[in-house]
Amino acid sequence: MKSSKSSGSGPAAAVRSPDVWRAGLARFVNVIPHTRELGLEVEDVTPPQVRMRLPWRDTLLGDVERGLVHGGVLTMLLDTVCGSAVLCGLPAPEVCPTLDLRVDHYRPALAGQPIMAEARVLRVTGAMVFTEGTLWQDPQRPIARGIGNFVRLGARNTPAGFAEALFGEDDHA
Amino acid sequence: MPEGFHDVAWLARTRAEGDVAAWLERLPYARYIGVTASPDSGGDGLVFRLEPHEHNIGNILLPALHGGVVAAFMETAGTLDLMLSAREPRLPRIVDFSIDYLRTARVVPTYARCQLLREGRRLANVQVSAWQEAEDQPVATARLHLVLGSPEPDDA
Repeated sequence: MKSSKSSGSGPAAAVRSPDVWRAGLARFVNVIPHTRELGLEVEDVTPPQVRMRLPWRDTLLGDVERGLVHGGVLTMLLDTVCGSAVLCGLPAPEVCPTLDLRVDHYRPALAGQPIMAEARVLRVTGAMVFTEGTLWQDPQRPIARGIGNFVRLGARNTPAGFAEALFGEDDHA
Repeated sequence: MPEGFHDVAWLARTRAEGDVAAWLERLPYARYIGVTASPDSGGDGLVFRLEPHEHNIGNILLPALHGGVVAAFMETAGTLDLMLSAREPRLPRIVDFSIDYLRTARVVPTYARCQLLREGRRLANVQVSAWQEAEDQPVATARLHLVLGSPEPDDA
């Protein structure tokens, strides 16, 4: 997937460089037990867009005989990459649970190859963050597309020091 | 052909026996997140269960299960339930999937029950409801469209 030009970057994007964001989101997926165990990697962050890479492992299989990835892996990956895009699409990182997620399965993902995931924030309102994400192994052949909507719980319901912990800035804020 | 989903005789036999465990054994990701199924004690059909494994956690602050893992669980439940309740043994393929998150899924066992709303000649619509403490307080509802076609991957 060629990434389309990003737009609507908020203050958070202005304050922190893509490298700082990549390190922050890498820390984020590494703190989540499920994605840490699966070895999910953050490849690139250009707020409000995120690209990740899920390395191959046999645990991801859904159809052993034909060597196809379990559909649930793709849903999990879209939830993760869309949820990560939310963090860098907001003025300041907030806790935002998934409200709903819709996944279209275009073709099966094949065993033995990493799966690439890219998501971006389309729109932020006072209550919601709207996102979309795409998965592929071959950039010309998307595997699945997801639309995820996330609820903004606001600064009041976000633990103090959430952003600092994300960026590892707790010592020198 | 060895036993498995693409062996029609094996599929028909396991289906006739209601051997969903044999299907789950051949789904590594479903096994990894800890999906099992058992007959519904109070009626017909199946109740699926997701183990609250540490590696299924998505939010360590609450803590809560990963929403994507809950989705994968419900997708698995919907697919297997269809394989059992369809008119004949067929291998379904997911077309699209939609999930609404209603409550935080705590790190405790999660259950799911499915309902086949429509089984056409080629397409099926399955609704899935997942709960933890009480079935009338679902943590998520989902629905799937699946193609009941040939098992050949349509990837051309």
